[in-house]
Amino acid sequence: MMESSQVFCKFKWVCLLVCMLSSVISGCASGKLNQARDAFYSGQLDQAVEALSDREDVPTRDQLLYDMEKGAILHHAGDYQGSIDILLNATALIQEQDVISAGQQTASLVTSEWITDYKGEYAERLLVHTYLMMDFLMLGDAESALVEAKQALEVYDTFPEACSADYFTRALIAHCYEGLNEINGAYIEYKKLAELLPDPSPVARKLCDLGRHLGFDDEVEHFRQFLPEAELKRKGSQAGELIIFVSQGESPVKIPHNIVVPPSIRFSFSTYKDRNGYLPPPSVGPLSGAGSSDIISTDVGEILKASLKERLVQVIAKETARVVAKEAIAHNINDDNLELLVRIVFFLMEVPDTRCWETLPAYLTMIRVPLSEGSNRIHLNIMGQNVTLPQIDVIPGKGSFYHYYSIRNGNVLYPLLGAPQSGE
Amino acid sequence: MFRNFLKKSIFLVLAAVILLMLGGCSATTRDLSSDDAIHYDEGYDFSDKKAIVNNLVESLVNKPPLVARYDRPVVIIYGVANRTSEHIETDGITDDIRQEIMQSGKARFVNKVQRDNIAKESNYQYGGNVSAETRLQRARQIGAEYMLTGTLRSIKKKQPKQMRLTKKTLQYYSLTLELTDLQTGIIEWTDSAEIVRESSKPFIGW
Repeated sequence: MMESSQVFCKFKWVCLLVCMLSSVISGCASGKLNQARDAFYSGQLDQAVEALSDREDVPTRDQLLYDMEKGAILHHAGDYQGSIDILLNATALIQEQDVISAGQQTASLVTSEWITDYKGEYAERLLVHTYLMMDFLMLGDAESALVEAKQALEVYDTFPEACSADYFTRALIAHCYEGLNEINGAYIEYKKLAELLPDPSPVARKLCDLGRHLGFDDEVEHFRQFLPEAELKRKGSQAGELIIFVSQGESPVKIPHNIVVPPSIRFSFSTYKDRNGYLPPPSVGPLSGAGSSDIISTDVGEILKASLKERLVQVIAKETARVVAKEAIAHNINDDNLELLVRIVFFLMEVPDTRCWETLPAYLTMIRVPLSEGSNRIHLNIMGQNVTLPQIDVIPGKGSFYHYYSIRNGNVLYPLLGAPQSGE
Repeated sequence: MFRNFLKKSIFLVLAAVILLMLGGCSATTRDLSSDDAIHYDEGYDFSDKKAIVNNLVESLVNKPPLVARYDRPVVIIYGVANRTSEHIETDGITDDIRQEIMQSGKARFVNKVQRDNIAKESNYQYGGNVSAETRLQRARQIGAEYMLTGTLRSIKKKQPKQMRLTKKTLQYYSLTLELTDLQTGIIEWTDSAEIVRESSKPFIGW
C-alpha cells in the first residue's frame, strides 16, 4: 500500500514536470508570429497581415509581441489606422504589465522565462510610441502624434541609458511639438537632441529658425556655425517641408547562450546578434535652391543592445535564483532515479528567452527636405537604389506645410495611401 | 472524534473558499448616477469632464460679457485643443459646454460641424425639386459675434524610484477656455478649471 502511494507520488512529479516542459517548448514555437515575420521579410505584406489575423493564435504571454509585430507590418503596408489600433493596444498592455505578477515569477523560477508575459525591452517600448507618432503624422493627426510624443518622453525619462541613442524618436518628438506650433517645446527637444548628437548640424537649422522666433539671439548665433554652406546661402523662407521616414535592413535578433556546470546546472541567457552588415545612410539628390536636407538616424540595434545591458543585473539575479531553486528541489528528492529524471527535465526546461520584436528595421532615419514654392522633385538614394518621389506641388497658403512619406528598404510601398498629409 | 472535527473543518473552509472564488468570478452590472464622481485611476474620465465643464460654464454665463447681454449673442466653438499626454476626445467637452450654455439661455451657437450638410441641403432646395415658397432664403445665416476656444493640459508626476510596494502618481489637469470678440480680436473672458489627483498602484499582483 505504502509502495503504491510512493509510486503515485513519483508519477505525479514526473507528470507535472513533463507538463511544464511541454508548456515551455510550445511557448518557444509561436508559429504564427514566425510565419508573419517570414512573409514580411520576403515582401509579402498581405500574407504577413493574414498570418496575424487572429489574436487568439498567439499565446497570452506573447500578446505584446503580437501587437508590436502586427503594428509594424501594418505601418509598412500603408494601413496606418490599423497600425494605430493595434499599437494602442500595445501601450495599454505595457501599462498593465507594470504590475509584477507574483504567480508568473514564481512559476518561472522552476521552469523558464518563456512562461512569463513578454514585456518588451525598454527600447522596444519606446519604439511603440515612435511607430504611433509616424502613423498619426501620416494620417495628418498632429494632435494625437503630440500625445504619443509626450508618452515617449516619459519612456525616455524612465530609461534614459537605454534610450538616449534613439535620435530618430527624439527628432520625431521635437517635430510633433513643432507641427502644432508649440515652439517652446520643440526648441527644448531639438536642443536636447543637439546635446546628444555627436554633431549638432542636422538640427542646427531648426534651432536657428525656432530660436529666432523665441528671441534667443545668443543661441542662434551659436548654432549658426553648424549650418551647412547651402543653408547660409538660402534666400527667403521655405514654402514647405518634406519629412521622409526611412526604415532600412533588419534589426538584430536575440540568440540563445548556455553555460553548463556539470553535472546538471545550466545557465541560459540571450544576446542580440546583428542580421545586417553596414548599411550606407540614405542620401538626397541636389535640391532646387531651397537649402539643404537634414538627416537623423537611429541604429536600432544599438538601443536594443543598450536596453538588454541595462537589464543585465536583473537577468543575472533571476537566472541565479532559478538555478538555486531547481538545485534545491532536485537535491531534496530522496530517490536517485527520480532525482536524475527531475534534473534532466529541469536541464531541458532551461531555455533562454529569445523573444524580441523582429520586424523592426536595423536603422530608422528621418530626412527633412525643405520645399520651395512650385513643383518639387525629390531624388533619394537608399541602399544603393535610386528612388524618385512623386512630384510635390507647393502653393504657399494652400494645402499643408508638412508632407510625409514612409519608405522601407528603398521601396516607396504605398506612397499615396496615407501620405503626403498635412502636419498642420 | 477530533479527526472527524478536523475533516469537517477542512471541508467547511474549502467550501467557503470555493464559494468566495465563484462569487468573485461572477459577472455583475449596476447602474450608477452620472453625478457620482468615480475614478479607477489618476487618468481623465467622465466625472472630470462634468466637473470642469460645470465650473467653466458657470463662470462664463455669470461674468461679462455674457452676463450683461440679454440678446443671446451668437457664438462659434472652435474646439478644445488636447495638449495632454492621453488620447482624449475633446469634442465631448465642447458638446457639453454648448449644451450647458444653451440651457442657460445666454447665447446661441453656429452649427459649425453641420456646415457642409447645410450647404448640401441649401443646394438641394435650389435644385428644382423644392417649391419656391417653401425653400430657404440664401445669405440669411447669422455670423458669429464671439469665438470660444480652449486648451486641455496635463502634468504627470511619478514618485521617484525607491524601495516600496506601491507606486504613486500625481496627475494635474487644467482646461482653459477663452471667449474672443471676432470683430475686435479681444479676449473678452477667460477662465480655467483644474483637477489634481493622486493615485497609487501596487507593484506586485497575482
